[in-house]
Amino acid sequence: MTLKKTLLASVIGAVVAGTTMLPMTASAETLRIGYSADPETLDIHEQLSGGMLRFSHLAFDPLVRWTKDFQFEPRLASEWEQIDDTHMRMTLREGVTFHSGNEFTAEDVVWTIERLKESPDYRAIFEPIASAEAVDDYTVEITTTAPYPLLLNLATYIFPMDSKFYTGETDSGNDKAEIIKSGNSFASRNVSGTGPFIVTDRRQGVRVDFERFEDYWDTETKGNVSRIVLTPIAENASRVAALLSGGVDFIDAVPPNDLDRVRDASNANLFEIAGTRIIGFQLNEERVEAFQDPRVRQAVDLAINQEAIADRLMRGFATPAGQFSPEGYSGHNPDLVPRYDIERAQELMAEAGYEDGFSVDMIAPNNRYVNDAQIAQAVANMLARINIDVSLRTMPLAQYWPEYDTRQSDIAMIGWHSDTEDSANFFQYLSFCIDDETGAGQYNYGSYCNEEIDALVTQADSETDLEKRNEMLREAEAMLYEDVGYIMLHWQNLAYAAADGVDIEPVVNAIDFPYLGDLVIDR
Amino acid sequence: MIAFLIKRLMHAILVMFVISVLAFAIQDNLGDPVQQMVGQSVPESEREAIRERLGLNDSFLVQYARFAKNAVQGDFGYSYFYREPALEVIARHLPATLELVFAATLIIVVFSVPIGVYSAIKPRSPISRFFMGVSIIGISIPVFLTAILLIQIFAIGITITLFPQGTGWGAWLNGLLSTEGNMPSFGRGYDLVHVVGHWDTNLATWDGVKHLVLPAVSLASIMLPLFIRLIRAEMMEVLQSDYVKYARAKGISMRRVYFVHALKNTMLPVITVGGVQIGTMVAYTILTETVFQWPGMGLMFLDAINHADIPLIVTYLMIVGLIFVVTNTIVDLIYGFVNPTVKLTGKPA
Amino acid sequence: MTTSTTTTTPSRWKRLRDSYLWYSFKRDRTAQLCLAVFICLVIAAFSAPMLAPTDPYDLRHIDIMSSELPPFWIDGADERYSLGTDAQGRDLWSIILYGTRVSLLIGFGAVMLQALLGVTFGLMAGYLGGRVDAFLMRLADIQLSFSTLMVAIVVGAVVKATMGSAFYSQYAVLMLILIIGLAEWPQYARTVRASVLAEKNKEYVDAARVMGLRSKRIMFRHVLPNTLSPIFVISTVQIANAIISEAALSFLGLGMPETHPSLGSLIKSGFDYIQSGSWWITLIPGAVLVVLVLSINLLGDWLRDVMNPRLYKG
Repeated sequence: MTLKKTLLASVIGAVVAGTTMLPMTASAETLRIGYSADPETLDIHEQLSGGMLRFSHLAFDPLVRWTKDFQFEPRLASEWEQIDDTHMRMTLREGVTFHSGNEFTAEDVVWTIERLKESPDYRAIFEPIASAEAVDDYTVEITTTAPYPLLLNLATYIFPMDSKFYTGETDSGNDKAEIIKSGNSFASRNVSGTGPFIVTDRRQGVRVDFERFEDYWDTETKGNVSRIVLTPIAENASRVAALLSGGVDFIDAVPPNDLDRVRDASNANLFEIAGTRIIGFQLNEERVEAFQDPRVRQAVDLAINQEAIADRLMRGFATPAGQFSPEGYSGHNPDLVPRYDIERAQELMAEAGYEDGFSVDMIAPNNRYVNDAQIAQAVANMLARINIDVSLRTMPLAQYWPEYDTRQSDIAMIGWHSDTEDSANFFQYLSFCIDDETGAGQYNYGSYCNEEIDALVTQADSETDLEKRNEMLREAEAMLYEDVGYIMLHWQNLAYAAADGVDIEPVVNAIDFPYLGDLVIDR
Repeated sequence: MIAFLIKRLMHAILVMFVISVLAFAIQDNLGDPVQQMVGQSVPESEREAIRERLGLNDSFLVQYARFAKNAVQGDFGYSYFYREPALEVIARHLPATLELVFAATLIIVVFSVPIGVYSAIKPRSPISRFFMGVSIIGISIPVFLTAILLIQIFAIGITITLFPQGTGWGAWLNGLLSTEGNMPSFGRGYDLVHVVGHWDTNLATWDGVKHLVLPAVSLASIMLPLFIRLIRAEMMEVLQSDYVKYARAKGISMRRVYFVHALKNTMLPVITVGGVQIGTMVAYTILTETVFQWPGMGLMFLDAINHADIPLIVTYLMIVGLIFVVTNTIVDLIYGFVNPTVKLTGKPA
Repeated sequence: MTTSTTTTTPSRWKRLRDSYLWYSFKRDRTAQLCLAVFICLVIAAFSAPMLAPTDPYDLRHIDIMSSELPPFWIDGADERYSLGTDAQGRDLWSIILYGTRVSLLIGFGAVMLQALLGVTFGLMAGYLGGRVDAFLMRLADIQLSFSTLMVAIVVGAVVKATMGSAFYSQYAVLMLILIIGLAEWPQYARTVRASVLAEKNKEYVDAARVMGLRSKRIMFRHVLPNTLSPIFVISTVQIANAIISEAALSFLGLGMPETHPSLGSLIKSGFDYIQSGSWWITLIPGAVLVVLVLSINLLGDWLRDVMNPRLYKG
């Protein structure tokens, strides 16, 4: 071969060469992934994003992780116990080694938590944790500043890093542990975790190569992927084409317009999962007096046909929503379903004295959520039925957020995914009364304020009896539903697709982090 | 000659200076790059700190001075989105665009010369009239629409049932007009062959060439009619000239007159226009690449605008400006070389 | 003074050309057909409020449940929507009529702006010469070395940045006229300059100068009328180009918003659905755009042949 082939060919070549040289098990398999994005960096604390968390699940292991039905599954923490309101003691798995060969101990967990508290992206989330302490080599005690029921949710974000590996100075005299955003730090180029895969090569934006970690602690898993090649393919259509043409084995984010094509394909399978990202609108009560009237807000909600949007525009790729919390979340209240009744909406407008309607403007992004601009357009059309005349502006994300921050429009679209996979997070960011001191209501565009709901959610957040807590959150959802503090549309679904024989169904979940260490390929 | 080159160099520097100032002037309103770099729940204070570190809060002049100082040393800054030097990002996307432009140019040359010459020699023949008609339709179809049509016909496929399916001839005609639609219509494919550096080529494998066909045809579609008409007009003019008449009178074979004497003189103005148009084609790649998701510079530029990736936008515009000035200069040099009576005065022909 | 020239020039120009123009028009079937098609399209577009069965700007008639219905000749069509509906459920026939109006408005508006800028600068450059000429032509060179599309994208970004995107979308039509107008003035300026240079040394200009007329007066009253026929020829081509440029910008999502779509934004909004089989949303507006541009281009071709006998006709 005089010409050196890249990508596919070289990978296949390398694998062929690899399998002949290394005494591998018969089931050794290569997985070629085409994700919409590759990890931005190798430092898992540099950026909080979907791409980074997926990477974290490959090269690292969390203390605990979510199962498909939102239960906690022990990983590096094998047991945990709430000692009192503010202390939790976790027992760690023994005999775990890092990629560097260092032994995993409680010191690493403490070190990682301290680093998380330094990270610009994670600092806010880890605010409730006051400190962590190693009781012995395999026991760690975490102290919270106040009673905090979501400690285990946070533990899904704790991917212990190899403290010995990341301690010290580089040749150029920089601290190995430092976190530099969009910069060139030691941790952004070097990895040592406990995860099932070792990074062997990485070219930003082009590909990342992984190889199975031979000393991986989880010997129970049936996962047989020995090598991963991750190629970022940002363009939706190209990603689908890559899968269908056999260029890759597994892709994420199949666009709604291509669902049928993938479904019909003979060599690939589609996996749809009800997602957890709520899409909706906020009505700006500061700018439009009418929106301060709950009847008007309710009329807006009633005028919007969530089912039609999910069915027609999204082609069934969304679950119509009547509340923040998707099924499986602590606060999910099965009674709260989408409402649509145009006559009742018109009546309510008349009752509120706005029979002749009014004019508002609306902003929406056009490259953030699935079909975002079309959805906003459809909602504008629906509001015209109750004589609310909407003039819509859509814009790319880079312009949308600065625009959103100014709160200078009457209606704004926003989608939200709860970082803690917990209901309270939605309220705290989207519907809490705005308080610049505490940061509450940071994304409450409409300045909606209902102190009763806020009080209830706040109380729930210090309730460590989870059953009681869930009841409170369900109640909060019902109150918000009644008061229409947020115009719910739907939860955007997730769609993965994989080549025949790549059994991704058991390892994908609504949280959007496939656990590829457990993936079984049987071609 | 030297004076000409120096003048052109000044021109290039001026172009790049104007572009960089312009691009810098608009950057604040293109959007906030920091929002793209952090998670959604990151508080404003953290974002402000990043903005401060990246120097986005400095005054316009300070930022520009910093940029200019680095740019002179060949450092155009880091792309916010790709987290790589902007020049590197462009270098990675450049080969895809160049191959596309090359393939389109090839199509243009192969078709425009024979068609143009033929319709100049036989202006009244039905074939010439047909080509002229098709060419004006070609000019009137925007490049993105050509692209969409090509996708519909060759990638999605069309089923025609215009004629009665029951009869043999009907089915045959329907089958003739229908297309299967199995041409790839997005991306460069996966069967690329690495050549050197960032250059992976589409031209070495059948699959790669197949991916290149539709984008190249649609890119060529905008220039092909122009060139056919240009070659025809120039050729007709040359054929009227005295020396062709003289050559003809001398009894030199017509073929020799057409293809040696006349064509040579026709190609001069064609080369001039051609050079300029190849520059323009780089700009048209924005549309073609968008439709076909061709991962070249045009698509990258549009993405950069949507991501408010200012360093990348500035670098792209400066590089494209440079490409244009360079191609224009080369064209003028060739022109001067082929036709020594033309004086290189620094004004484009 | 300028107004008086515009009233006198067409009549003089008419007297000069009318007979031949009309003679050639009477003989040319293509030109007749194109003019007829063009006039039909213009009339249809500008009487859209009367012709269209629904008002696509009136959002309350739009029902998402009737989205993506095919045109009448395909099974599953709804008789209320002769050409089918788009992804939002808007009547395609109505929205195309309104969209054509938007495209035409922008095309003509942009060309008028181009002509105004280009003629003024071209006259100045050609007649005044020297530094003014050097500066203006260098500016034109730089601009021409980029294609219209690039310039329009950059100008668009500048305009959006300085005016704010709310203002921009409110006056989208005017903004696009401004953008495309600014992007293409050099075409005019160069042609006018060349004609002026040719006319400048003719005796009548010398005579006027000797008579002591001011250069502004000589430029507009004496030189300009003699450069009108190339301006007229360019204008037809430029209108076609401006319509295409607008469509291209809208297709890239940088032009008309989808609530007030032009033909280009209609094509763009349909493109997402072409893979799923709803080709009509994109191809029918596309066909209208092509017919419109083609008729203008053919008219322009004919005009050039008539007015510039140096070129040949096949």
